Amino acid sequence: MSLKELSSLEKALGLKKPNKYSTQGDKKVPVLQSVNGPALVGLVTIATHLVQEAKRPELLGGSAEHKAVVQQWLEYRVTKVDGCHNEDIKTILKDLNSYLEDKVYLAGNQFTLADTLMYYGIHHVIVDLAVQEKEKYMNMTRWFNHVQHYPGIRHHLPPVVVLRNRVYTSGHH
Amino acid sequence: MKLFVSDGNPHCVKVLAVLELTGVKCDVQHVNHEERVVPYLSRPAVPALLLPSGTYLFSPNAICQYLMEVNGQGSSDLVNQWLEWEATELQPALTQALHMVVLQGKRAETTSVLQGPLSYLDQSLSKRSTLFLTAEMVSVVDVVLWATLYPILSDSSLVSGNQTELQRWFERVGVLSACESAAQTVLQGKGLKAESLKTYMQRQPAPHHGQGQGRGTQPCN
Repeated sequence: MSLKELSSLEKALGLKKPNKYSTQGDKKVPVLQSVNGPALVGLVTIATHLVQEAKRPELLGGSAEHKAVVQQWLEYRVTKVDGCHNEDIKTILKDLNSYLEDKVYLAGNQFTLADTLMYYGIHHVIVDLAVQEKEKYMNMTRWFNHVQHYPGIRHHLPPVVVLRNRVYTSGHH
Repeated sequence: MKLFVSDGNPHCVKVLAVLELTGVKCDVQHVNHEERVVPYLSRPAVPALLLPSGTYLFSPNAICQYLMEVNGQGSSDLVNQWLEWEATELQPALTQALHMVVLQGKRAETTSVLQGPLSYLDQSLSKRSTLFLTAEMVSVVDVVLWATLYPILSDSSLVSGNQTELQRWFERVGVLSACESAAQTVLQGKGLKAESLKTYMQRQPAPHHGQGQGRGTQPCN
């Protein structure tokens, strides 16, 4: 799974030469073998490295604050979203939804690596959401739709249909 | 800028130690465990850092990285790798170990829970060429890992006699005043025996079965 993500990320970043990856342990943690240095281990570490290799530092956030916000959501992806238990997924959706209430992307108005990896990691959950749930988590769904239509991001994942107009128009004056 | 911490919460040792190490100016406010500091999260998340812009950081490692960045120390691949390892491998095992020792009194079993990550750290320390994990000087990575391990490794009965590199490194980092005073503030310097740690643990949800083996044990769908 994470190897597909890394390959999609390489394409999104426009890296011409695909890297060679392996995995380690039961959890299949990705490992990037390097010719001129020690191997890199871990999805966030490797993804961050690829962004630097592609000379796209803006994807890691511009200011100290944005960098920390990007790091935080990258960590959230690999600690909370990955391997989460069924009872936790509602909390994750609820929290992301309320966080994204006043934001276009996870780090505000700027698209970053955090959006890409969160999108890859949460896709399998969103695919299975009922229409009513997508409406319940409207800010999160809106964010998801922005990211899946962001140029060059989707790659290995099928598009998810997100309704632009609310089906149940209650409370309209 | 304001940092919210709570008594007995081991994650707060980390951020307070890094705050002192970096010397960044910041107000520290003590809150209780139930306080919902970060408005958009449904569960209480402490420590949290409120930035001048109104943004909250709720991940202890992101807070540490922010303090580092403000202090002019950027991250490197190696720093990122250790922090990711801490969050995904060490932290779940440690949470489970703390739950077992502090609440269930199962001291013997914790050794097997921590065996994997501790020997990985011990081996990495044996292979390194620098005095500390990433450099000759102590870095945020050392302090973060030290703080995570502090409650367990400060109890000599839980330390394996074979992991000498790990013990030496743990002692070397622990003498820093930043580490000492953070452990004093949060856990009264008592490690596992701190009454506040027990109170904190009692209010946390029990770790999921198998969480000690880390992520990916039971996928969502």
